[in-house]
This record gives sequence, structure tokens and C-alpha cells, in this order.
Amino acid sequence: MSGSSSSRVHQGRILVEIAMRNLVASRVRTTVVGGIVALGVVVVVLGSSLLDSIDAGMTRSIQGSLGGHIQLYNAASRDPLALYGGTMGESVLEPISDFARLKGAVLTVPGVRLVVPMGIDQAMVSMGNVFDVALERLRADVRRRMANGPPAEDPEYEAHKAHLRRMATLLQQELRQAREIADETSGVYKDRKADFDALARAVEGGFWEHFDEDPLASLEFLENRVAPLSMDGGFTFIRYVGTDPEAFQKAFPGAQVVEGAPIPPGQRGVLLGKLYAEEWLKLRAARRLDKIREARDLHGRRIAKDEELQRWVKENTGQTRDILLQLDPVRTREAVRRLQAALGTKESDPARLVSALLDTDDRNFDARYRIFYAELAPLLQLYSVKVGDFITIKAPSRSGYVSSVNVPVYGFVEFRGLERSALAGMMSVLDIHTWRDLYGYLTPERAAEIARLKERAGATMVAREEAEAALFGGGDAPPAPSSAPQVIDENRLLAAGGGKGAREDLFLRRYGQAETDAGVALNAAVILEDPRRIEETMPLLVEAAAKAGVRVKAVTWLEASGIVGQSMKLLRMVLYLAVLIIFAVALVIINNAMVMATLQRVKEIGTMRAIGAQRRFVLSLVLVEVVTTGLVFGGLGAAAGIAIVRVIGWTGGIAATNDTMYFLFSGPALIPRLGAASLATSVAIVFLVSILSALYPALLAMRVTPLEAMQSDDG
Amino acid sequence: MPEPIVEAVDVAKVYQLGKTEVQALRHVDLVVERGEFLSIAGPSGSGKTTLLNLIGGVDVPTAGTVRVDGEDTSRLTERALTRLRLDHIGFIFQTFNLVAVLTVFQNVEFPLLLQGRMTSAERRRRVETLLESVGLAGHARHRPSELSGGQRQRVAVARALVGNPPLVLADEPTANLDSKTGGTIIDLMREMNRRDGTTFIFSTHDPKVMSHASAIVRLEDGRVIGRESAQGAEAR
Ligand SMILES: Nc1ncnc2c1ncn2[C@@H]1O[C@H](COP(=O)(O)OP(=O)(O)OP(=O)(O)O)[C@@H](O)[C@H]1O
Ligand SMILES: [Mg+2]
Repeated sequence: MSGSSSSRVHQGRILVEIAMRNLVASRVRTTVVGGIVALGVVVVVLGSSLLDSIDAGMTRSIQGSLGGHIQLYNAASRDPLALYGGTMGESVLEPISDFARLKGAVLTVPGVRLVVPMGIDQAMVSMGNVFDVALERLRADVRRRMANGPPAEDPEYEAHKAHLRRMATLLQQELRQAREIADETSGVYKDRKADFDALARAVEGGFWEHFDEDPLASLEFLENRVAPLSMDGGFTFIRYVGTDPEAFQKAFPGAQVVEGAPIPPGQRGVLLGKLYAEEWLKLRAARRLDKIREARDLHGRRIAKDEELQRWVKENTGQTRDILLQLDPVRTREAVRRLQAALGTKESDPARLVSALLDTDDRNFDARYRIFYAELAPLLQLYSVKVGDFITIKAPSRSGYVSSVNVPVYGFVEFRGLERSALAGMMSVLDIHTWRDLYGYLTPERAAEIARLKERAGATMVAREEAEAALFGGGDAPPAPSSAPQVIDENRLLAAGGGKGAREDLFLRRYGQAETDAGVALNAAVILEDPRRIEETMPLLVEAAAKAGVRVKAVTWLEASGIVGQSMKLLRMVLYLAVLIIFAVALVIINNAMVMATLQRVKEIGTMRAIGAQRRFVLSLVLVEVVTTGLVFGGLGAAAGIAIVRVIGWTGGIAATNDTMYFLFSGPALIPRLGAASLATSVAIVFLVSILSALYPALLAMRVTPLEAMQSDDG
Repeated sequence: MPEPIVEAVDVAKVYQLGKTEVQALRHVDLVVERGEFLSIAGPSGSGKTTLLNLIGGVDVPTAGTVRVDGEDTSRLTERALTRLRLDHIGFIFQTFNLVAVLTVFQNVEFPLLLQGRMTSAERRRRVETLLESVGLAGHARHRPSELSGGQRQRVAVARALVGNPPLVLADEPTANLDSKTGGTIIDLMREMNRRDGTTFIFSTHDPKVMSHASAIVRLEDGRVIGRESAQGAEAR
């Protein structure tokens, strides 16, 4: 056909003209259809910007905290590596028996910046109880008096003694109550008779009158016979990553020491997870106050209307013992003075004063919170473990024994972006030597050595303890016997005293890099120069390791993050589903609206057909109408989405109102980021959806015959 | 002698209405010469519209052949038939059938755009000429809804003639107009017929309208029952 291209241009012009005018003429329909399209695009733009920034935040947090770029672990492992724990508990990995060899191989691969050995596990941990703290103070007094001679006046010493006596009294009351419940004739009671006698002695005036005659013996009695009866402190579980602290610090800038100091290079020590400390080590009353404050400030919950908050308040007023136990007479007096002033009362009973302080309601909460932290807290040890303390970690080792290791707390660590994640924020960082002791990896030679030792000991009951001692004594460290970690038997787990000399030796020891690398690890985090090269580097790492005789599996940081990675995928699915639903609805509505419009216009379409418009023309007419609506309103929606994203950004982002959100947002607020990809996706989706929804009405329009023009009914 | 513009030979049209067949036309033979101003008359249901539809290529006969400007409509594809309507036939409808959202100018321009043969300047000149000749030069920017029935039908006449087709069909073009306005429309059509030699075929019930025709074909019950020359019209 001649001039068909120019004809098409002309037709196109009138087509767009008619389509536009139709759109303007039926404003209501256009607004409804356009509104839905715009809404859909807003959701796509906003949703994907949010997801993109969650994604980026999580990537930064996880890569910078524990994940690195690639994780390597023994290819023979049946479980997958799960840095933040699997859905079914800790995954069991086969060990990498010689990390040094893997490290050497991996560093030959171009683009690899760092390799960090890791071993992640959970264990029981026991910390000193308040008794231990009080005893430690008294012991210091005794040492001071022995060194300098007893001063004439020693009020501190007397106060510390009085404190211990009071604690013994409280403990006795507690155990009496327990005894009343238990049957006195039962075996349990008989077993514990000695305990009750010991307590009775510690409460008696006679014991304290004669304390100064042999302070060391008296201290030992309190330490060995009385302190273990107190269950304070007790056990908690700790999740830790055993690693080379120096390499770890270099590789993971997201892991920040928020209190204390990093573990000195080559030395043993632990950095406790800050969140873990908050959850498990903080004085319970203080922790509950924090939680009430957060509930009130962040979630707008009110004590008057919230059963949980009421319960916390009740627990706080009822359980003042934790606080009172920490206060020796001097501090008790000071606390009473301060609280009387702050609360404006003449009450002199410390228990009632503390209880009154903690009896909070919505009106006085903020004031009481301030008083607690400003007045009372400075007199207390808020955390049961402080920098410089030793904790005892006890884990079932690979060799079948329970390993038990003392380790000094250098500080508290927080993972940036994951501070409040129950999964990630609980993680503590442990030196790899201690980790290896706990893990108890048996090389064949070591197994043989233990067998020999057992034989020598004649396989008596003590064999096991000796084997443990031998095991730890022979650790990866050079076999200097004095450097053996303290092995503590189960009965002594509660007592953190004793054997200080050996302990201090060990923990002052510096291990060289070669010693740190040579030994077992469970996985290795690989940091690349260029994070975009993860996929292509993975097979190279596996190959290089295989050449060095180490068979490893390589996974991305996301895969290794287990539940976390899955939650990301889930979020994305939810967004896609929401988008899918919105656009399915949009599809139906646009389709219906256009079908109705077509039916209304049958006569007009028939007329166009009669006077010479081809089918293609009316088909295009409908398509142009819908696609124009889609693009115009899609554009408006995109603009609105962009505007919303900007406004959210300007106003500081979306605040996280709970821990899950805090975790997802990798921080206190989420600032959505606009991605070209999300904009392009929304345009593509709108285009596709409008074409799909126009297909049926367009088909109907195409089927309109020119005969319809002749119908004389209706004008 | 030139080829007739319309030539229907033994045409039949049967409509299927459920189970019953409606014989809208039977054994119709009709020749329309170029330049005629032909009226088709007959009672309601006699088949006037059906016959015009067949001539207009809007529908095809059940039997027989219809030739328009030499083309056998039954042998054309849908596309070609549409093209035939576009290039050879103008339509004037009983209900005017303007595109509501377009202006008067755009409505008249529409067939030219579909044809795509003229530049925009040519189109403008052509449309303006036609609007002038139907007396609506001042209404180019109006919407159909702003016009009276008679004015709308003038626009329709202009639209039918804008592509300069040899044949214009009008099914009861005055049925929706009062008799005075209807008269002016017929006068307008007759003027165009005289001036350009365009063939007009229109149906009507109205004897006064018929009286303008150069010839009247009478239908009854789907058959042509007679053809007469309207001398009154000729006399003018
Ligand atoms: N689409 C159709 N389906 C079924 N029957 C039809 C159809 N169109 C017309 N008919 C029938 O064909 C016959 C002729 O109808 P047509 O419309 O051609 O008559 P007409 O002379 O134009 O009448 P009117 O003066 O009322 O417009 C009538 O009996 C009518 O009922
Ligand atoms: Mg009719």
C-alpha cells in the first residue's frame, strides 16, 4: 500500500487524540484505573526501595560482622554452615584440621584480602555470683592488712565483713524456706545437712569474732563451703565465635568493642556480646526498668493498661534481694540517704525504700528511672560480669569430655547493624586457642596420648579428670605445663576463686601468628578486595584448597547467614506477593472498566469501522488508552513513590519500633534508597499489566462490526 | 457508457433469528448510475437498511452479487472491504454518529487521516472548504454536543464527502430531524450531487424527501416492486 507509513503516522495522531480525549471525557473511570495503577507503582517503588535498603543494610551488617564475603568449611560436613544458628540448633561441621594450610592456599587466589578462622559454638557459662564479688573484696582487704599491718580503724574491712555475714543470713533464710518444702527425712536433706551446718556457722557471731585470728582460713571456709550454696549468677548459655581476634578485627569493622578493649593480639580472652550482656548479665531490676522504658517510649505501651508491664513492676518491687545483696553496710547507708532524698520520704528500711523506688506507674516512671540510674546504680554492679572478670565456659568437647575453661573478659562487643538481633547480637568473640580447648579436637596422635595416660592412671575414677588435664595441657600451644588452661571440675564451677597463679600465667601468654593459625577451625571467612567478585572467586578458592589437600565447600555470606538470609528472601517474597495481588486487582479492575467503556462505545466504534477504520485501528485505540493511562498514572505513582522515599529520608527514615525491625533495618531507622532497578521494574510491570488488562476489551472492540453504526435505537 | 456505480444482481439476504430465518431481501436487482440522486422507499421492515448495508459493504449478501465501483463485495477480504468503504463510499447516518470527543473539524478530518494521503495543510484546506459548503465554517472548534441535530447532520454530510467518494449512502438521514431541517439537509445533499456529480443513495419514509430524488426505488417485503423517475426532482 502506498503511503502506508505516512498513513500510519496520521492514524497514530488521531488515535492518541481520541484516546486522550476519551480519557478526559470519562474522568471518573480514568481516575479509578489510574489511581490503582499509581498505587501499585507507589507500592513497587516504595517497597523495593525499602527492600533494597534493607538488603544493603543487611549485606553491610552481615558482611561486616561475621559473614565476610565467602565462607569455607569442610566439604565432608553434612550440615550446612549457619553463622547465626540453624533452624534446628547449631549445625555440626566437620573440622578443618589445619587452618594454616587452608589459609596459605586461599591467599594464593587473586583478589583475596583476608582469611579469618572461625569456630562457632554454644556453651554453658558460669560467672561469679555476688558472693564471689564480696569475697574478692574481703580478700583484698585481708591482703592489704597482711601487707601493711592492720590499721587501728578499718571501717571498710568491717563493712565488708558485715556484708558477707548479711549475705549468709539472707542465704540461710532462703534455704530454710526450701527445706520446709523438702521432706526432712529424704536423702536430699541428709546430703545437704553439712551445707546447713556450714551456713549456720557463717551466720553465728562466734565465727566473725574469731575471723581476724586466721583470716585466710576463714576466707577459705566461706569460699569453699558457703559461696557454692548461693545459686546467684548460675549458668547461662553463651554463643561464641572462636577466632583469631586480630584478624577478626581487621576483617570485620562492624564488630565494635563498646566497652573495655580488644583482646590483645595473640592472647586469650573473650569479648562478650553486648546484647547478651544486657539480656543475661544485667541486674534484673535494671533490665526490667530498661524494658519498661522501651515499651513506653517506643511502643506507647502504658503500665496501667499492660499486663506485662504490670508484671515487671511487680517483680521489681518484690525482688529487691538482688540489689540489697550487693550493698554492704556503708553502701546501704548511702543508698538509704540518697533514696530518702530523691523520693522525699523518711522511710529507713532499705528493702522498702528500693521497693518504693521500683514501684513505678505511668506518671512517675521517667523520674524513677532517672533516680535509679543516677542515685542507686552507681552503688551497684549493674552487670554480673565486668571487664577484667573471668568467666568459666563449659562445653562438651569432641573427645567426649566436658571441657571447662576460664577466660578473661576484655570487653563487650557489638555488631553494627545487628545490635538488637537476638540471632546475631548475642554472639561473643573468643580467642581461638580457648575455643580449641573447648572444642577438644583430637588428632590421632593426641588420642593415642590420652589412651597412654589413661593406662598409666589405671583407669580409675580420676582418669577422666587427668585426661582432661592432659588434653588441655597438651593444647595447640607449646606444651609448657604451666600454660595449661585451668581445668575446673563440676563441683567447683560456681566458685570462681582459687588457682589464680596458674591462671594469670596462662593469660599473659602471647601466641605467635603461626601458633594461632596452626590448628583446627570449623570455617573460614574470606574477605575479597572486590565484593562483586564473590561468585567467580568461590570455585577458585575450592580449587586452591583442594590443591593443598583441604577439601572445602564455599558458600556466599548470604547462604552462610542461614535464617537471616532466608528472612530476606521471605521479605522479598512478601513484597512480590503484595505487588502481584495489587496488580492482579488492577488487572481485573482495568479490564472491567475498559470492557464497560468499550460496550458504551460500540456505536462509535462501529461508525469508525463503517467509515473506513481497520480493525487494527480500534484495537490500537483501546491499547493506547490503557497504556497511556498506565504510563501517565504509573509516572505519577513513581513520582509520588520517589517523593515519599525522599520525604522519609529527610525526616530521618522509618524508626524501628521493635527488635525485629531494628534487626531488619540494621539500625535504629531505615532510610529507603531509590534504585534505578526498582523504577525500571515498576515501569515494566505497569506496561505489562496495562497491556494484559487491555487485551480482552481490545478484542471486544475489534469484534464490533460496522453494522453497529446503523442501529437506529438510542442516540 | 461508463460502468454503473452500483450493480446488484439477484441479491438475497437472510437473517438468522434463532431458529427462524428472516428473508430481509430476495431477488433484488438494482443498477445505480453515476450521478444519480436515488431514493429508496418502502414501509418499515421492507429491507431499505439491509439493501443500503449491502451496497455500503458493511454487510455481504447471502446470495447474488453486489458490485460497487466495479468491486464484487463478496469477494473482498474484511480489510479490502474496509478500504473500499474508506475510499469509495461516504456514510450519513440516521443518528448522525459523530465521534463525541472530537471537534467538528476533527470529525470531518477523520476519514482523511485514515486515508493518510494528504499533508496536514491539504487536509486543513479540504476540511475548511467542506465546512464552508455545509455552512459550519464558524463551528470548526465546537464539539458535536454543542450543535443542533441539523448542524450535526451537516457535519456528517461534510465528513461523508471530505474524501471525495464517488458514492454516498444515507439511511433515513432526516428521520431524526424536523421536516424543515430535514429539507435543508436534502437540499445540501442535492447541491453536492449536482456540483460534484457524487452519487447519492438514501432511504426515507418521507414523501417530501423522496420528492427531491432523481429516481425512487420502491421496496416491499424485501423485493423491489418498482422504480420511478421523480419528475419533480428532475424539474428543478
Ligand atoms: N440484524 C438482523 N437480524 C435479524 N433480522 C434483521 C436484522 N436486520 C434486519 N432484520 C430484519 O430484516 C427485515 C428488513 O429489515 P430492514 O432494517 O432492512 O428494514 P427497513 O426497511 O430498514 O425498516 P425501517 O424502515 O424500520 O428501518 C426486517 O424484517 C427486519 O426485522
Ligand atoms: Mg431501516
